[in-house]
Amino acid sequence: MSKRAVDMTFQAIYTLTDLRVLFRETAPTHVLDVKQKAEAERLLLNLERQVASLKQEMLK
Amino acid sequence: MRCANGIEARQVDELFINIDPIQAGGRLTGDAMKAVMAYGDGYSVCDNCRKPNRLDYISKPPIAEFHKDVADWLSMDSVRTVPGARRGFQAVAHTYVQKGDPVLLTSLSHYTEFLAVEEAGGIPREIPADASSMVTADATAQKIEEVKREFGRPPVLAFIDHVDYQFGNMHDVAAIAKVTRQYDVPILYNGAYTVGILPVNGKELGVDFIVGSGHKSMAAPAPSGILAASAERAAEVFRTTSIVGDITNRKFGIKEPEMMGCTLMGATLIGMMASFPHVKERVKHFDKELDNNRIILESLLSIEGTKILSEYPRKHTMTRIDTIASFDKIAETHKKRGFYLSSALAEKGVTGVIPGATKVWKFNTYGMTRAQAEYLGNTFVEIARENGLAVTG
Repeated sequence: MSKRAVDMTFQAIYTLTDLRVLFRETAPTHVLDVKQKAEAERLLLNLERQVASLKQEMLK
Repeated sequence: MRCANGIEARQVDELFINIDPIQAGGRLTGDAMKAVMAYGDGYSVCDNCRKPNRLDYISKPPIAEFHKDVADWLSMDSVRTVPGARRGFQAVAHTYVQKGDPVLLTSLSHYTEFLAVEEAGGIPREIPADASSMVTADATAQKIEEVKREFGRPPVLAFIDHVDYQFGNMHDVAAIAKVTRQYDVPILYNGAYTVGILPVNGKELGVDFIVGSGHKSMAAPAPSGILAASAERAAEVFRTTSIVGDITNRKFGIKEPEMMGCTLMGATLIGMMASFPHVKERVKHFDKELDNNRIILESLLSIEGTKILSEYPRKHTMTRIDTIASFDKIAETHKKRGFYLSSALAEKGVTGVIPGATKVWKFNTYGMTRAQAEYLGNTFVEIARENGLAVTG
């Protein structure tokens, strides 16, 4: 296992935390405006990349 | 959903607009959440603790810098972090109050200020708030004169809340501090509802101490807070230990007895530090918070019979309201009795009102977006209409 895998784990947690903040900012309806939707999309893409890297590191 | 055995994952602020009067200013920023996850382990901030082995000297993470920054930000000379505002009151009371000493509080003071005085053996004397629930400089002077007549000397310390917990009213601390200075009474500014919420400047206020609450107003985990002091007072309250063990001859360096050595050594401190840049920024925009508060109060006031018990227009977002002639009328006949209001609010995604409260209650609108403020205002009106209350406008 590598430091990179640990870094990716933290990064993924932080990305999820940013999504958590978005839930807080839009509670209780969670209706996202255009800017918030773009932010959610960016975060989810990052998360996918981070999980993919993690998979690669841990399962190689 | 559980986060551990028997512990529900708390999702209150993700699922609801939370208007709990004491929770609004302590909600963590995203950065604080991230930092807390990384530093959740016990003595996590102590990895790089080096001589002289004291929390406020640690440079990695930048704890020493944080202490200096907070002092500058508040225009005070020294700062320590404390496990909650109450521990700041305790440290100051323990330094200045001896058994039988009179101590000045107000009729709106928080109970932990009383407990701090009690623990030190002091005798509380309250400055009465006036008919509009305000504590004034004149009333302060009058009370000090009364104390002098009763005890033959002025109080040894004064605790004044800038914004009180009962009404969220803003009291003129600068004017009160002018009076206490005339009598040489050290004054502690209780900023539990202000430090981290709106700009606070110790020099301008003319106070000896500032106490702030991390978990109430600085977007930090509990228990956390700060105690700031002027240079003169810092030498007294942050004095270092002089005790020596009789067998071992041990001494304890520069540890401070009132702080019991080091104070916040992990997630609490790191959370407060991570939120600090956001907190410094957000106090500059308190006017926007008041704008949001106004939207909600105007909606509430449109419901016939509703009264604001706090000073109005509002200077703070924590507000005391009287709904005896509006929401409480419904409670008399509703099958859920007084619980209908918190229940109806919860159904619409709003929490933080004490279940069963329909007469006099408090709420805090701090930290909402404009959209959330509008939603909340509309929600109160909708509940009123659904229950047959008259709404104007």
